[in-house]
Amino acid sequence: MAATDAAPTPRARPLSPHLSVWRPTMTYVMSIVHRITGGALYIGVLLLAWFLLATSMDATAFGVASACLNSILGRLVLLGFTWALFHHMLGGIRHIIWDAGYGMDKPQREWLAMGTLIGGFVLTIIVWAIGLAVY
Amino acid sequence: MADDLNSMRTPLGRVRFLGSARSGMREDWLMRVTSAALVPLTIAFVWLILSLLSKDYNGARAELGHPFPAILMMLFVLAGIYHMQIGMRSIIADYIHGRAREWALMANLVFAAALALACIYAVLRIGFV
Repeated sequence: MAATDAAPTPRARPLSPHLSVWRPTMTYVMSIVHRITGGALYIGVLLLAWFLLATSMDATAFGVASACLNSILGRLVLLGFTWALFHHMLGGIRHIIWDAGYGMDKPQREWLAMGTLIGGFVLTIIVWAIGLAVY
Repeated sequence: MADDLNSMRTPLGRVRFLGSARSGMREDWLMRVTSAALVPLTIAFVWLILSLLSKDYNGARAELGHPFPAILMMLFVLAGIYHMQIGMRSIIADYIHGRAREWALMANLVFAAALALACIYAVLRIGFV
């Protein structure tokens, strides 16, 4: 299709405004954060695969994986992973609500966006409180 | 392609009835199905991980060796990795162009398939070996 790509454009086509033109709103920022958390989880699943494979091998491999995940850096990564997981899950629930045709009006969509943000932090804190109590 | 600027046909007329990307709707639907499935699966997954925290090697193997946690983990992995593969496909389509996009799409598919197989293999090995 290179030949058609090289064809002269008759005139400049209208473009939709770029991100920098928009005033940041809650819904738009949460939309970007949804994508960023999704991307982070994409990489983070490597940790799950590593943990499962180590557990399937032997006690030494399990010990190495556990020690790494339990180090300061490992815990920070897992904390971020937990938050990304919950934030992305709540964002997904928000999308399901929108797909069903609800919550798209002015105050509701702002509440949903705010709920996604706050809910993500709250669920992360709850799970880590349980985790640290159990550990 | 009839990209001739002197053609009488309108841009709309040229693309009409050629269809979309053809499999777009199916992908869109599967994204939603997996996202709905992942809500309970994620909660159960977090629960399972919390229950593994206090366990050592043998305890973790025993826990993951039970049918229910094992099936739960595999469902989470399958739905999650399928979901993230579609998600990354749309990120690639948005930000990467030209030949690099084709490589990125292939890498995405290989990464997702390898990761899913690794997780499933590990869970089955824990259960059966």
